[in-house]
Amino acid sequence: MTATSVAVPLTAGGSARVDGLRGPARLLAAFLTALGLFAVLMLLKGVNPFSAYRDMFVSTFTDHNQVAGILIRATPIILAGLAVAVPARAGLINVGGEGQLIVGGVAAMGVALLIDGRLPGPIVLILMALGGALGGGAWAGLAAFLRLQAGIAESVTTLLLNYVALDVMYFLIFDRWKDHKGSGQPASRPLRASEHLPLWANTRVHLGLAVAVLVALIVFAVFRTTSWGFRLQVVGGNAEAARRAGLNVTGLVASAMVVGGMCAGLGGFAQLAGAEFKLRSGFLAGYGYVGYLASWLSRHRPIGVVLACLLLSSIAISGDSLQLDSKLPAASVNVLMALVLLGVLGFGKRRAAAV
Amino acid sequence: MQRVTSIPVAADPPLLRATGITKRFGTVVANDSVDLTIDHGEVHAVLGENGAGKSTLMKVVFGLYPADGGTIEVAGTSVAMTSPAVAREHGIGMVFQDLRLVPALTVVENVALSLPMKGLRLDRKTLTKNIVAASERFGLSVDPGATVRDLSIGERQRVEILKVLLTGARLVILDEPTSVLAPQEVDHLFEGLRALRDQGLSVVVITHKLAETRSIADRITVLRAGRLVMGGADPKLHTDDVVIEAMVGRQVRPLAVARPAPPVGRPPALSMRNVSLHDSRRGTLLSSVSLDVQPGELVGVAGVAGNGQLPLYEVALGLRAPTSGSCSIAGTEIANMTPRRALAAGAVGIPEDPVRDAVVPGLSVHQHAALDDLSSVRKGFGIDWNLVASRYAERNTAADLRAADGDRRLEHLSGGNIQRVMLVRAFGATAASLLVAAYPSRGLDIAATRRTQELLLERRAAGCGVLFISEDLDELFEISDRIVVLHAGEVAGIVDPSTTDRYEVGRLMLGADDLVGAST
Repeated sequence: MTATSVAVPLTAGGSARVDGLRGPARLLAAFLTALGLFAVLMLLKGVNPFSAYRDMFVSTFTDHNQVAGILIRATPIILAGLAVAVPARAGLINVGGEGQLIVGGVAAMGVALLIDGRLPGPIVLILMALGGALGGGAWAGLAAFLRLQAGIAESVTTLLLNYVALDVMYFLIFDRWKDHKGSGQPASRPLRASEHLPLWANTRVHLGLAVAVLVALIVFAVFRTTSWGFRLQVVGGNAEAARRAGLNVTGLVASAMVVGGMCAGLGGFAQLAGAEFKLRSGFLAGYGYVGYLASWLSRHRPIGVVLACLLLSSIAISGDSLQLDSKLPAASVNVLMALVLLGVLGFGKRRAAAV
Repeated sequence: MQRVTSIPVAADPPLLRATGITKRFGTVVANDSVDLTIDHGEVHAVLGENGAGKSTLMKVVFGLYPADGGTIEVAGTSVAMTSPAVAREHGIGMVFQDLRLVPALTVVENVALSLPMKGLRLDRKTLTKNIVAASERFGLSVDPGATVRDLSIGERQRVEILKVLLTGARLVILDEPTSVLAPQEVDHLFEGLRALRDQGLSVVVITHKLAETRSIADRITVLRAGRLVMGGADPKLHTDDVVIEAMVGRQVRPLAVARPAPPVGRPPALSMRNVSLHDSRRGTLLSSVSLDVQPGELVGVAGVAGNGQLPLYEVALGLRAPTSGSCSIAGTEIANMTPRRALAAGAVGIPEDPVRDAVVPGLSVHQHAALDDLSSVRKGFGIDWNLVASRYAERNTAADLRAADGDRRLEHLSGGNIQRVMLVRAFGATAASLLVAAYPSRGLDIAATRRTQELLLERRAAGCGVLFISEDLDELFEISDRIVVLHAGEVAGIVDPSTTDRYEVGRLMLGADDLVGAST
């Protein structure tokens, strides 16, 4: 996705600071600016921006099914965003949410396959969640290990490990885990009905959303109140000061990375057990990068990550309307997302760029 | 040339007359309607504490800062000092505290950089001749062909002064010129300045050192908190107490003389044996250093900047592992020492550059203070911030340095106020058995500097071993039990300040070879 490759050089190294317009107001101003710029682009393509925006809004937010779609989509993205936000507190750049999501899904699937229905559904789900979290954590831990042992920047390794994760999944669904009863598309066998996450009333929205929001609240509380959250902030703010104060910088860097990866791994599990029910090619493709974007949009604040993910998911879902009603290519929604990102960066304090 | 009289004749306007200079930085008034008059052929000292506005005033005169008010006249003509180029045109030159030479180039090349270029060719021969002539005329000996990298600080400073003179300056402004020099070099510099004066040129020395002022200045101007306190006074007519009171605004109390003897029978607070430190990039930083700091002993570390003081600081606190040799803190011999282990063994440091090494952006003073004893302020998974706050308040009161309140963001404080917080934290660690202080009074005013010296002595009296790194020989002689002199990463000597002459320490600081150059 082009938006992420723009994000890295512009903001890497900038510490999260609130200045100028306060949080939500700044986000709103950035969003409106992005809408304005996008309107100009639509005018250039001969589309009336007002009717296009109205169509987008109406078709997205008046349809229960679409709203459910937003929430379902946001669920793994929130967890992928937290996978960026937790390491970012320790000054780390985790671009590997994508791979950690996938490994989480793969590990959860592996747990389900291993148990093969021999245990009751809820217990399987809990073990799958555990497996997903451990898988994602281990994948991120690999990057932390490479950084601490070999000094390789985690921003590079996490990104490259995304492709490795994808290949691991492909290997499994094309080979070991291939569902021979399935149609032409390679995929794993589907989960049993007992291994699906419970749904919300009569909607398609699953328990994973509650898990994602709960994890965000926990991360918020951990940042706010715990000694670990404080020490991560010290490491992220000035690693040399942390070292001189006798903090275990290595352990903190590793733990931040692993905890972040665990969040994403949980996201992979949630998507598998709540929405997709099997591994297939294209499983969670691009979700990790949107989560990365969301974390930067919210300056790595956990509650902000939730809001930013809802916003980005809304934009993504409303992109369908752009195509159907305004005859714009579906990819134009990516342009809008990129504009939102640039808008937020533009409204951020410049001081970060001087670092 | 005859020495021009320093008493201005009515028909002869002074070389420089600045009237009512006002300079604000945001809400801070750095200069509040300050007057300054410099006569032909005088050495004029501008005295004041850190932050009194003396550098600001001279930077306004040199055209670096535009003034918010006031006028500047050069030889009776009003001049708008809009840039250093204008100042140079009118014969004003300035030598900055941080010397601005290119180390890889020779003296001639460095001088050439500051001169207006005529054509593309560098006429080395003529320029060399000019430099030699000027250095003989003003008694500022330098080798024009030497590469600046190989020169001592004192020699570099002479190059800077020559550079300014060759651009045709009649008024040379020197910003804290003695702060990094050994006593011999200071003498040598002052001889040069007197020669300039005798040739009819004028010199302004910005300084906070009264003793040096007495030995060189014909007249003094004292600033305090941006205001003029004494203008162009004759130093011989005022006692030290009067001038210090003018600088500080009140009397500075003398240090306690009684120094209790150190306790016996305890392992040394710090013991280094043959410690060497090599860096692949910067070569040898420490070479076979052996020294002990006993409990209840205050050991000063003297040396020209960059001769191993900071590597010594870093090794003593476990921040860097020595390449070879051993180091122990309070009897705990630790191979591959880490800061964590050094802290656990009872070592505390006052960092040389707090902004780089201790200030965490976004955190308050309290949050920084919590880092000092994080394990003892735990409350469940969290931190007992009330305990942190009350401890900090206690330590702040005990240190009596008027450090900032705990809820301020540390990075928003000024350099001096950040330093106060560093001191409160370090002196608050009363259980420490070793305190390593790197330039602890940097950026502080005279009263706080004195208080810092008292606190160092208090720690010493409490049985803590203190290793005290400073650039100020006065300070080192005043409070150290012994002084370790570093030169080129080696211990050049360990001396007793009560029986040693300052020039002896200066000789050790410069190393034997450099001394030959300094005395020519």
